[in-house]
Amino acid sequence: MASERQIAANRRNARKSTGPRSGAGRKRASRNAYRHGLTLSVASSAAVAKQLDKLVRKIAGDTDDPIILERARETAQAELDLARVRRAKVALIERASAFGELDPPQLFGTVTQIIRAIHALERGRISSLPEPINSSATMPPQEPYRLAEAVRRVLPELRKLDRYEHRAAVRRDQAVRALSVESV
Amino acid sequence: MPRINKLTLLPKVPLLITESADEFDALRDAFEREIKPRGIVEQMYVRDISSIVWEILRLRRCKVVIINAAFRSALQELLVQVLRQPGQSRYDVEHDAQALALAWFTDQEAKKQVSEILSQFKLDEFAIEAQAIRSSSADLELLDRLLTSLESRRDKALGCVAEYRASLAHQLRESADRFVDGKGLHRLEDAASKRSTAA
Repeated sequence: MASERQIAANRRNARKSTGPRSGAGRKRASRNAYRHGLTLSVASSAAVAKQLDKLVRKIAGDTDDPIILERARETAQAELDLARVRRAKVALIERASAFGELDPPQLFGTVTQIIRAIHALERGRISSLPEPINSSATMPPQEPYRLAEAVRRVLPELRKLDRYEHRAAVRRDQAVRALSVESV
Repeated sequence: MPRINKLTLLPKVPLLITESADEFDALRDAFEREIKPRGIVEQMYVRDISSIVWEILRLRRCKVVIINAAFRSALQELLVQVLRQPGQSRYDVEHDAQALALAWFTDQEAKKQVSEILSQFKLDEFAIEAQAIRSSSADLELLDRLLTSLESRRDKALGCVAEYRASLAHQLRESADRFVDGKGLHRLEDAASKRSTAA
């Protein structure tokens, strides 16, 4: 058990850890909880749950064996997860191809930059705020250059999605293996 | 022409709007002819393999295009290096290098001139390609990782089809053997007698 001194030291240290201080750090930390929803169960939407049930029935055949049904459910769930990740990959590339990037262009990275710009505007050092860079204008107009550039711009995101896809594929393969053992 | 979804239960493989659905269907049909899937699980794997191969082809095309797109700046960079005389800064030759790099794509004379300049240093067009690869190496590395991951998943999926088939065949053989040995028949007789008593 921690002593009084240790508890006091822990509290002192905890007060030092107040998270990121810079504007960029705070902005980044504010998105910590946001990902892409790919870890959500596929059955979270009613239409997909229905599709899942149909697929389970098709995989399991006309058995009522609860173990086989469970294995079939795991297989179907992983299959729908795979489909979802693939849709996400295609959607990301399409978005980058249409807009040039995934996030809308921002004029200022931090609140300090906004304040500085307002001060500059008030003191007449600048006549108007600069226009944000239009990312879609930096995209090549013709295919296949546009697609390649879109893919290039979303490569880090594609890599992350690839890990999800890999895990879903492993889950499906394990479920199919277990299913084939139980089936006959 | 609308895409034919033979197995509506399985989710459709998503394609980019610039990609041809007919070409994808042709690829999937080719795999179906080769693998001859039996049952929904094997169908699932065939779709998976087709989708992975399609993505591999997409990324390979992108890889080539990324290198090609880097050619102009690569040539310009190379020309700056070879045109620079001792005592000159890069800004002294940058304009000439830029103009020559631009003309290289359309003008045969410019192409010849570049070849002559490069040959003075025992370089050829491969030096331009090497510089293009070098300047896009960060993207190419990421692409290669994605490709490696996809290729390994494709091979695993192919292995899984074979394993699934072999496992089913093995178990079917075992049950057939049980029937031949009479154990299966006892079970059938037991089941039949239970049904008749229940009725």
